[in-house]
Amino acid sequence: MNVGALSRPRSSRRALLISLSVLLIALVVGMEQLAPLFRALFPDQDPAMYERESFLNLTLAHLALVLVSSLVSVSVGVAAGLFVTRPAGREFEPLVSTLAAIGQTFPPAAVLAIVVPVAGFGFVPTLVALVLYGLLPVVQNTIAGLGTVPSQTLEAARGNGMSAWQILWRIELPLAMRVIIAGVRVSVIINIGTATIGSTVGAKTLGTPIIAGLVGNNLPYVVQGAVLVGLLAIVTDLAFERLEQRFSFGEGGNAE
Amino acid sequence: MIELQGLTKRYGETRVVDDISLTVEQGEFCVLIGPSGCGKSTTLKMINRLISHSEGKVLVGGEDITTLPPERLRRRIGYAIQSIGLFPHWRVADNIATVPKLLKWPSSRIAARVEELLALFQLDDEGLHDKYPHQLSGGQAQRVGVARALAADPDVLLMDEPFGAVDPLTRDTLQAELARVHRQTGKTIVFVTHDMDEALRLASRVALLNAGQLVQYDRPAELLVAPANDFVRDFIGRADLGLKLLSRRRVEEYCRPAQRTRNNAIASAPITWQVDANDRPMALLGGRLGEPETARTVVNPEWTATPEMSMKEALSRMVWFRVTALPVLDGEGRLLGEVTMSGVMGHRS
Repeated sequence: MNVGALSRPRSSRRALLISLSVLLIALVVGMEQLAPLFRALFPDQDPAMYERESFLNLTLAHLALVLVSSLVSVSVGVAAGLFVTRPAGREFEPLVSTLAAIGQTFPPAAVLAIVVPVAGFGFVPTLVALVLYGLLPVVQNTIAGLGTVPSQTLEAARGNGMSAWQILWRIELPLAMRVIIAGVRVSVIINIGTATIGSTVGAKTLGTPIIAGLVGNNLPYVVQGAVLVGLLAIVTDLAFERLEQRFSFGEGGNAE
Repeated sequence: MIELQGLTKRYGETRVVDDISLTVEQGEFCVLIGPSGCGKSTTLKMINRLISHSEGKVLVGGEDITTLPPERLRRRIGYAIQSIGLFPHWRVADNIATVPKLLKWPSSRIAARVEELLALFQLDDEGLHDKYPHQLSGGQAQRVGVARALAADPDVLLMDEPFGAVDPLTRDTLQAELARVHRQTGKTIVFVTHDMDEALRLASRVALLNAGQLVQYDRPAELLVAPANDFVRDFIGRADLGLKLLSRRRVEEYCRPAQRTRNNAIASAPITWQVDANDRPMALLGGRLGEPETARTVVNPEWTATPEMSMKEALSRMVWFRVTALPVLDGEGRLLGEVTMSGVMGHRS
């Protein structure tokens, strides 16, 4: 195995992750300093800088929403995936897969329309929509990841006297982790983008300037929100990519 | 000691293992063999309860296996399968330490045991300790698998076609090594294979199964000279029977005293070995096919035999080099005796 050839793109990915993270933080903190630039780019637009709320606050609120919804999606999704791959829960597998799939086919806007009358405006209905929307990739990948563990490996684990719990914790989860994390990665990335629509029901997110820009026909607002959401998604994606590599045990995986 | 009493496994109406009774004595190397689907693997897995039996009893060391929790039972019985059974996310040392860790041995004892096993399987000088399974060759991975099965020093070792996935050359080496480890450790081994040559090579007893039933349980040579029925005869293969038998026998069983001389003079015996001052054979006088009895043939290292060599190999060398006798040499190359073409027939069975 040629380590040199492998480590090269990996280290350039790390440089990309670091530089984009720095760019993201700089934009979040210093977007307001770019007001002259936006005024020059959009001379006819007044105001050309979204100033009703600081971008730092919007970003933190956005992250909080994504973090909480992802935590719920991941815990529920992994638990459901584990349950249906145990002997006791195997018969529920089709049911759980279907439910998770329905959760994702439901447009988040429709979920908002249903949840708002029940739970009111703001954070909670957005959270519900994001949790439902982010569940499918986690459930699917948990089931798929556990399915990739070779049956001989499991037989060897049993034959060497491991209990069901020991097999799950020491063998199945570590070996399935890369695929599970890939599912979490998709779920989180989707939710970073989808969280913006929470602003239509009053949740504070990076979607707020985008919605305001769309409603008020203000292109600079849309650009300012969209650039941050896009950058946030790319940085998160790159970070997950690195996390996944830690759990690859096949060829070229654990060489580090 | 392992005792199977009327062991049966039913799936619905099908009896995949049907009323098998046999005893594997302490230190025995028992090979379960038979065609695909004969129930040999199922029988093996019922010994450590990877598969639960429907009827009958299994006693390991005199104890009924159902009296122990399955995990405790399995930690006392070594279990080796094909190399893919290694845990891919654990290094070699961690893989070998699986059972000792489950038994909560102190870490110093585990480390010492791992080193001991790496040495036993000649894996210690290759820096393999910290490698992951995918970095190993097939033969190395298989050795690690057997080392893992032996880690907690179980009395009994179960092996399910452990050498099925390696190339013939490596398999040959692994078989020789397993035979050596068996001699050194005196473990009771139950070994599943579908390869008759492997069975004849390793087994001290062979259990031949067909359609879930035990057809014959005997010493390998008995299987060859006294097959219980046509199925056994067919399974062993009607061809090569004599050679298969010879492959089980070692040169030392056929070795007889050699006639020596220190000069070119022909002695009274038809075959005479000319030896040097250190009793090393220099030349064979007579005993060369198609040549007069006085012919002198210089001894070539390629047509000598050692006491451990199989008679099949010795016979093969005689045929290939057209000599009717081979000198049997000890480790220093001294003449211990001879095996002859006519002696091949004269084994007292």
